[in-house]
Amino acid sequence: MPDHTVKAFDEDITRLRGLIAEMGGLAEVAIQEALDAMIRGDEALGDKVVARDRRIDALEAEVDRLAVRIIALRAPMADDLREVIAALKIAGVVERIGDYSKNIAKRVGMIEGRDRFEPLTLLPAMGELAGEMVHDVLTAHAARDPALAREVIATDAKVDAFYNSIFRNLVSHMVENPATISSAAQLLFVARNLERIGDHATNVAEMVHFAATGNYPPEEDR
Amino acid sequence: MTLIHESIQHDRGAKMIARDVSVYYGSKKAIDDVSIDISPDYVTAFIGPSGCGKSTFLRCFNRMNDTIPAAKVTGQIELEGEDIHGNAMDVVQLRARVGMVFQKPNPFPKSIYDNIAYGPKIHGLGEKKADLDVIVERSLTRAGLWEEVKDRLDDSGTALSGGQQQRLCIARAIAVDPEVILMDEPASALDPIATAKIEELIDELSGRYAIVIVTHSMQQAARVSQRTAFFHLGKMVEYGPTSDIFTNPIEERTKDYITGRYG
Repeated sequence: MPDHTVKAFDEDITRLRGLIAEMGGLAEVAIQEALDAMIRGDEALGDKVVARDRRIDALEAEVDRLAVRIIALRAPMADDLREVIAALKIAGVVERIGDYSKNIAKRVGMIEGRDRFEPLTLLPAMGELAGEMVHDVLTAHAARDPALAREVIATDAKVDAFYNSIFRNLVSHMVENPATISSAAQLLFVARNLERIGDHATNVAEMVHFAATGNYPPEEDR
Repeated sequence: MTLIHESIQHDRGAKMIARDVSVYYGSKKAIDDVSIDISPDYVTAFIGPSGCGKSTFLRCFNRMNDTIPAAKVTGQIELEGEDIHGNAMDVVQLRARVGMVFQKPNPFPKSIYDNIAYGPKIHGLGEKKADLDVIVERSLTRAGLWEEVKDRLDDSGTALSGGQQQRLCIARAIAVDPEVILMDEPASALDPIATAKIEELIDELSGRYAIVIVTHSMQQAARVSQRTAFFHLGKMVEYGPTSDIFTNPIEERTKDYITGRYG
């Protein structure tokens, strides 16, 4: 794509994209570390994840300010306009993804008898998949790649499958041993948070597709 | 060739059509084989970089290019199915049916009243003073100027502010009851408030008259028109609903121009 005649416009758009990339990078790390803390029972790491979420929130506010400024001062059109609108929405969604990681991190100290739970071996794989969706969707955003965005959307079904399997597993734990109910319920929330992260990555993918093409991905993808 | 969006191909019968129109200034081809349907229901905007031929093309619709000795127009242009270059077409009548408003307001150095009454008088629309009074009031009212000038209709039209003069010119175009109004950069010499009044006026007049506007301000095209045609180097590149042209243009050249990447 050729540069804008007004170079400051390009700089604004580049900066906006940079902020989204930075938010996404932080959200990705937060997912990994929150799960890591959860699996190993590392409360200090959990606290770190919670503390660092503030940085994601601050970046979202910065995206909002910059997007409003671009709309007011540059009156973007066509793909520029879609880019700015998508950035606004993506920032909101990535901020939510950060919140889900924070929520997982907050539960680190609430699990008893970690070695008894089989889901604790499934959760890292699920977390990895959800993290991969976030990673890929940000790559798709950086590359303005609608095809990769559609691949991310397709991956969400696998995350949902993980959730269903972990759900059944935890319910049987609760049935067999009511003493585990409290911890199992906490783990259920963790799985639920990962499942929501997958949904949100899907939303981002839809916005990336929209910004790149002007259309939402076909219905059968969703 | 021109990319015409599918969604406008079912627009109701055209008020004016142009087919394979080319315009030459001497040996230079300013407009190259352009065909378009002008809808009676919408405001149509012509946009494009300076020198793309949009004003030249606009001037074809009421044969204003006839007044330029070196200009030659080829192709077919019809108003309600009538060939505007045909022997049966009286060019004075044509310009009454297809009125024009220019970039710089150009009121006659006469009273406000006479500015409006002049056209109807020579076209025989108002024989008696009472008829002309009605036309003057109606035209000024439609142009949103009546309240501002009703107590000083005998003042000179040139004593009005720039924005008022432009609305006076629009009132003058309306006075002869045209079917089409062509506007060439009607607000580019006006401040933002006067511009907003002209845009509001265009909005109110649309539907009653087919309106075609040439504008350099893309924001203005986006605000006032429902159909937009993008011109580049004498060709019409893309023609579609304004909302699509400004959010999701199909042609790369259109996109580069409206996003400020041109050239």
